[in-house]
Amino acid sequence: MEEWRELTQSVIIGLIFSFLVAKLISVLMSFREDKLRLVRESDIPEEPNSLTTETSFAATERGNQSIYGEHKQPAHGEQKPLLEGIHAQEEDEDDDWEGVESTELDEAFSAATAFVATAASDRLSQKVSTDIQLQLYGLYKIATEGPCTVPQPSALKVSARAKWNAWQRLGAMPPEEAMQKYITIVTELYPTWASGSTSKKKEESGDNSSSAKGTMGPVFSSFVYEEHADHEIKMDAIHASAREGETTDLLKYIEDGVSVNLRDSEGRSPLHWAVDRGHVNNVELLIRKGADVNIQDDEGQTPLHYAALCDREAIAKLLVEHSAGLDIKDNDGNTPSDLCEPSWLWMRPCTN
Amino acid sequence: MADSSSPPEEPTQTSDSDMNANSLSETSIETIAQKVQDSLSLGKRHKFWETQPVGQFKDIGDTSLPGGPIEDPTPLSEVKQEPYNLPSVYEWTTCDLDSDEVCGEVFSLLSNNYVEDDENMFRFNYSKEFLRWALHPPGYYRSWHIGVRAKGSKKLVAFISGIPARIRVRNEVVKMAEINFLCVHKKLRSKRLAPVMIKEVTRRVHLENIWQAAYTAGVVLPTPITTCQYWHRSLNPKKLIDVGFSGLGARMTMSRTIKLYKLPESTVTPGFRKMEVRDIPAVTRLLRNYLSHYAVAPDFDEDDVQHWLLPTENVVDSYLVESPESHELTDFCSFYTLPSTILGNQNYSLLKAAYSYYNVSTRTPLLQLMNDALIVAKQRDYDVFNALDVMENGTFLKELKFGPGDGQLHYYLYNYRLNQALKPTELGLVLL
Repeated sequence: MEEWRELTQSVIIGLIFSFLVAKLISVLMSFREDKLRLVRESDIPEEPNSLTTETSFAATERGNQSIYGEHKQPAHGEQKPLLEGIHAQEEDEDDDWEGVESTELDEAFSAATAFVATAASDRLSQKVSTDIQLQLYGLYKIATEGPCTVPQPSALKVSARAKWNAWQRLGAMPPEEAMQKYITIVTELYPTWASGSTSKKKEESGDNSSSAKGTMGPVFSSFVYEEHADHEIKMDAIHASAREGETTDLLKYIEDGVSVNLRDSEGRSPLHWAVDRGHVNNVELLIRKGADVNIQDDEGQTPLHYAALCDREAIAKLLVEHSAGLDIKDNDGNTPSDLCEPSWLWMRPCTN
Repeated sequence: MADSSSPPEEPTQTSDSDMNANSLSETSIETIAQKVQDSLSLGKRHKFWETQPVGQFKDIGDTSLPGGPIEDPTPLSEVKQEPYNLPSVYEWTTCDLDSDEVCGEVFSLLSNNYVEDDENMFRFNYSKEFLRWALHPPGYYRSWHIGVRAKGSKKLVAFISGIPARIRVRNEVVKMAEINFLCVHKKLRSKRLAPVMIKEVTRRVHLENIWQAAYTAGVVLPTPITTCQYWHRSLNPKKLIDVGFSGLGARMTMSRTIKLYKLPESTVTPGFRKMEVRDIPAVTRLLRNYLSHYAVAPDFDEDDVQHWLLPTENVVDSYLVESPESHELTDFCSFYTLPSTILGNQNYSLLKAAYSYYNVSTRTPLLQLMNDALIVAKQRDYDVFNALDVMENGTFLKELKFGPGDGQLHYYLYNYRLNQALKPTELGLVLL
């Protein structure tokens, strides 16, 4: 009995242990895979053109017109004006960005530091001596923080002391010079590093855009889910084309003999859908094709109820011109004028 | 964000969304740990935060570490006396928000460069009045309102701020700085100014002999004390759909959506009224008692209540229930006003949002109280009412037709370790 217990215990411990080992290996593997992917990405030849078109396309799609607008210095970085031009139209009036905007040197420097950050954790870094690493550290500190003013760490902290010395040694070297030297060293070590900079740059800009919400502060949130019906609704193609404003399709269905007053599973006609989404053209077409303007859905609402609820005044007027009833009550007892905005004075007198 | 032109969705989404809503609301250590793992496996490291006295990812779950301050205060004489170095073309400036000109500069820096949604359709647009309110609480330090200017043009290109607050963490009231409004001009994002700005505000906080801070972020940094979920309640669904804040499913009608969110014209609770100066002592008592139930919450006194909760037009609104018989104040609710610029929409330029702030119910059911808050917000022409799932908010969100948002907000403490991450329902702190 005792033996059995011991055996089960050791089996269980063994299982837990091997699970942990497997987990550790999988984590390590995923790290390695990331690295590999990074390296592979940087192997891909630079294709600034395709990137440019993609970005500009995305920006145009979003409905921001002046992509190239207002950038007086087109010289620097090909992608940059595009990425930033998204908000070009509301940029400040003054163009005095000298010394404010990132320079080419800044860009190259931050690309080089990003490269070093990834290379340092790579096995490539084995060939870089501690001396050079310290030199890079000192230059980095000068470039980002300026001359060393922090107190000297205690002699016991060997590596902190060495880093401090490396920084201190550079004295009041101007940051620009430090950036330049940093880039030179990196280029000597890895002559090809810059060729991988496109992918780096892409990551970087991803970083930057997310840094709008990426660092500290609040978060802008909006709805995850769309407004959706709480039960299944069946509708036909004619309703969908009325809803989407596809006038040609709508006309085709009517001419093919689909009833202009066909109801979906909620009793809505194509006219209801066209009014709901505010497609005036479809509303006109449906009326012209003889749609019943006073047709009521399962809740007793006419297209005019929809127009009133959805605040579509022009469509409401159009419906009334085609003898939509102002005093039809829905199942809740409301007439269209009970539902419309108070500002629709033209509809008011009929309430009494 | 939902896209109204997306293909027709199946009605099964209902059950789907309910399920997700459930899982969204239960934030636990595991979910944080999962996120940490995700961000680690992406190869992301937090070089800056790993050097700071904050809870580190590697320590998650290590209960042997003591709760409380991570580093002891250093003698003030050892705090660095000069500002950190900026790249040579910039200089530090202290922003006096009482000056209309400076306040306008901070306002326009933020309104052009501050937080946006993922799709860049909206950007927070804190008003000048709001900024003054947020940055001038009792005992504020002007030196904590830190700007960066370009030396040549004197243009304000970055900002960060701290305000003093007494925050109770479990049984201990700690003097802290609340850090907020970190903003770097869009054109300077590659310059890595943020770390030096955080260090500089930390230095200036230390100079006032304060060693802890509270802040929020939309991303996972080392290490959240809790992770909250934003929820939204449509007040003006048509506008929200038109501007893309919410989407309209292909099988759903606008008219039904509008009907769904209709609210009564007037509030229903007898004795529901706006808070006034004379209510400050009673509201303070109500609030102190209520907040004492939370693990992390502000320690408000009457001055704080006067500042943070006395209604200020278009900044903060507070309502309470005064019993018609006994004239006792029994319930309280409040929200602050944070509009956002709508980018690239021809018909609308501003989204008017109310954010749930502090709510206390002792006699009126919280559900009814918050429904009245919604009614008031609707009367005042807000488009949407937002709330985090902190405190007891989770008990009314679904019933009052809030829907889950795509934004998660992580709360952090600087130089203070909590042995155990909190559930959002244990958090009694709302940062602006």
